[in-house]
Amino acid sequence: MPQTVLTFLRRLNLWVASLVGVVLLACAVFILADIILRQLGSSFGGTDEISGYVMAIVTSWGMAFTMLELGHVRIDILRSQLASRGRVIMDLFSQAVLALTISVIAFQCWPVVANSIQNSSTANTPLETPLTLVQMPWFLGWTWFALNAWITLAAAAVLTLRGDYDSTESAIGAFAEQETMK
Amino acid sequence: ESLNVVGSWSSLPLHQQYEQPFWTETLPAAADDLEVALTTHDQMGLGTGDVYTLLGQGVYDVGMTVADYAVADAPELEGLDVPLIATDAATAKQMVDAARPMVTDIYHDRFNSHVLAIAPYPPQVVFCNHDISSLADLEGLKVRASGRMTAKFLEALGAEGINVAFSEVPGALQKGVVDCAVTGAGSGYSAGWWEVSTHLMTLPLGGWDPVVTAMNLDKWNSLSPELQETIQTQITTEFEDPAWATAQDALANDVACLTGNGDCPAGDPASMTLVEATPEDTERAKEILVNEVLPEWGERAGAEWVQRWNDSVGEVVGVTIPAS
Amino acid sequence: MIWYVSVGLLGLLTLSIPVGVVLFLLGFGIDQFFTPFPLLRGLGNLVWSSSNSATLIAIPFFVLLGEILVRSGVATRTYAALDRWISWLPGGLIHANIATATMFSATSGSSVATSATVATVAMPQAERLGYDPKLFSGAIAAGGTLGIMIPPSINLIVYGFLTQTSIPRLFLAGLIPGLALAGLFVLVTALICMVRPELGGERRVFPLSKMLSALKDLVPIIILFTIIIGTIYKGWATPTEAAAVGVAGAFAIALAFGGVSLEMMRESLMGTIKITSMIMLVVIGASFLNFTLASAGLGQALRGFLEGMGLSPLGTILIVVLIYIVLGFFIETLSLMVVTIPIIVPLVVAQGYDPIWFGILMIVLVEMALITPPVGLNLYVVQGARKSGSMTDVMLGVIPYTLVMLAMAAALIAFPQIALFLPSIL
Ligand code: NA
Ligand code: NA
Repeated sequence: MPQTVLTFLRRLNLWVASLVGVVLLACAVFILADIILRQLGSSFGGTDEISGYVMAIVTSWGMAFTMLELGHVRIDILRSQLASRGRVIMDLFSQAVLALTISVIAFQCWPVVANSIQNSSTANTPLETPLTLVQMPWFLGWTWFALNAWITLAAAAVLTLRGDYDSTESAIGAFAEQETMK
Repeated sequence: ESLNVVGSWSSLPLHQQYEQPFWTETLPAAADDLEVALTTHDQMGLGTGDVYTLLGQGVYDVGMTVADYAVADAPELEGLDVPLIATDAATAKQMVDAARPMVTDIYHDRFNSHVLAIAPYPPQVVFCNHDISSLADLEGLKVRASGRMTAKFLEALGAEGINVAFSEVPGALQKGVVDCAVTGAGSGYSAGWWEVSTHLMTLPLGGWDPVVTAMNLDKWNSLSPELQETIQTQITTEFEDPAWATAQDALANDVACLTGNGDCPAGDPASMTLVEATPEDTERAKEILVNEVLPEWGERAGAEWVQRWNDSVGEVVGVTIPAS
Repeated sequence: MIWYVSVGLLGLLTLSIPVGVVLFLLGFGIDQFFTPFPLLRGLGNLVWSSSNSATLIAIPFFVLLGEILVRSGVATRTYAALDRWISWLPGGLIHANIATATMFSATSGSSVATSATVATVAMPQAERLGYDPKLFSGAIAAGGTLGIMIPPSINLIVYGFLTQTSIPRLFLAGLIPGLALAGLFVLVTALICMVRPELGGERRVFPLSKMLSALKDLVPIIILFTIIIGTIYKGWATPTEAAAVGVAGAFAIALAFGGVSLEMMRESLMGTIKITSMIMLVVIGASFLNFTLASAGLGQALRGFLEGMGLSPLGTILIVVLIYIVLGFFIETLSLMVVTIPIIVPLVVAQGYDPIWFGILMIVLVEMALITPPVGLNLYVVQGARKSGSMTDVMLGVIPYTLVMLAMAAALIAFPQIALFLPSIL
């Protein structure tokens, strides 16, 4: 059961990350098009404003994927000295702290969106982008991260209780087995 | 009593010459048992639009920044800094005084805070690396502007608004990425913009960028009436008035430094060509403002604010926004 | 407060809590214990404004550029070509590591991306040819740090963004110190291997024909560098936008070499998102920590402390260098810069120093921080690319290069022109 959940989460986040990747590529193409247009004496206007929004949204939605790929950097000086039981305890603790912290962040991100909804805020730019439009997906990304962190913690805790330390470590350990770069 | 104060840009003269001495020396000396801790929003890494939002939430007691940064949350606040109308400090001060009741209400309702003072940044003038002789010549040029209303005005004038970071403007002017750029005359002088531009138009295309000092409303209400009185009197006489009093001279000095016409106390004068606004320019600017830019603002802010603006600021400067 | 932060930082890091999370936790603690104000209410705004940044989008673009070069095989070809040209020196292939890192630094804005790139192509060779792992991996970790000194550079973009200095001028200023560091790395490696030949591998001498035929494999990187830097200095694109141009260039080069496939692009994007999110969690955490520190009055206190010591300008710089060396052991580099720049740079500039020059000095110190334990990202990246062996090997291997960086910092203080010469003539 916990393995199924983890596999499902990974697959889901792979999709999310693919989507995020496409958004990032689209942003690069948009910037390139604007650079070329400028040479021809014209411009879309507002590319940097839009890149900013893209960065905020790409960042928040990529977080959960990175967590499941064990990409958030941890210092393992003490951890690497321990036997597998000790490592797993540290991993569980670390994951719990992560889940808690990200939940606080997601919780504190909501008032930013709420404020924009309440004031019908628009960016202080000629584009007048409605801020709710870009802050809502950004907030949902952090919420998604928090949700994934708790589910992963629960799944890893079950694995640990079953004594399956190896699976726990591959779910919430300090480094991926193999770096993704080959 | 203690106050946590967040100042405006730490590198600019308003902070160094007025805010810092006022909050760290003048006010503590005038009020008994008042401790002040001062930092600035750039040192805290705050987004420019966040200063008043967090002030309202009580993250600190006193905050000050350019009112224009906050218009994302309060479009009606754009009416405080309409570009081009006030060509000298005296008129700008009159506009601000006329707008003060509006500003007070906006800060009360939108940001849960009490307005203490409104001080000017130097007027935002135009540096061009392009031969211009009037406002109309900006048509078709690429201009780096800041602020929504200025950008809208440039659009209406037929110029193209380009976004460039302050620190990249010299390079952008030199390479023709932009033909003109708007900033305070003093900032432009100290950042060396005169090395890469030829013409200086002293029309305040970017307005006067008023900096609003406000206190969290709950904090304000918790102070004793005596302390409220002391703070208000002190900030008006020792901070706001002096900042306004030197604004006109500062502009004259900065223009002298940039053009070489007159004494430059800040260093060696440059020799930019001074382009003064013709009566036709002023006429044209007003026309565009009244017929395009301000009605658009009216749509963002709502009819109630247009009415209030017409009755106060509009009254002082002789401009009426037509009802849409 | 300084004690709280240092001890808290070390303790939490030792518990192997993710570095980004540790920074948030320290911020929460400052809010709890050091100020009566509800700083936590600013958290959401800080997270939004520190990630809603058109400047920082250069990070994913530069990482993507490196991923494309690795996965399309361009990086391997470059490495092989540089091997033919430079491995005749005492130390053999180790020089190719440094030279490859230098070349990729000229197309990548990130040190982590640069060392990851070089480590993935070089590490298999070390094991095959029987090199001493210490110096070999140390050279990769140290060479990789050049990624943020030789333009383009994300860290210099961030410095320029935070201090309102011109990014193209910062890039120009980094060029000579960056190349000088690369040259000194090669020199030091050769000297060490002359004294202790067993540390290096065999010297590899290739016939001239092979050297010449390898030249064509260096062309793509040179073209890419020219495209990126050219668009910046022609004024066609901002430094951030130039990163997007670099992605397009890398893609075109990969196409020309026939290394593009849907799978390869997908993997490159996945790798990019992984590294970007990792960096951004740390950057956002650092912004929040900085916000709480500034609110609690650390900036004012530090300024008071330094001014109270009544130091000469030189004394101030030496203290600042010392602060960075010590902090560099424990703090990840981008967060180190984000936290300290708003406090330190105004102090240094007030003493009459050029902010461009100080940016370069800071980059040298930050490069050191990347390879000093316990928190040295490049050490981890290189270790991650090794199949076996202990982390200690890499830590020992970087020592000579750390000393070179220290010498470079001293040289910059003694001769500011090393950094300021190029920006002054162009
Ligand atoms: Na680089
Ligand atoms: Na370090």
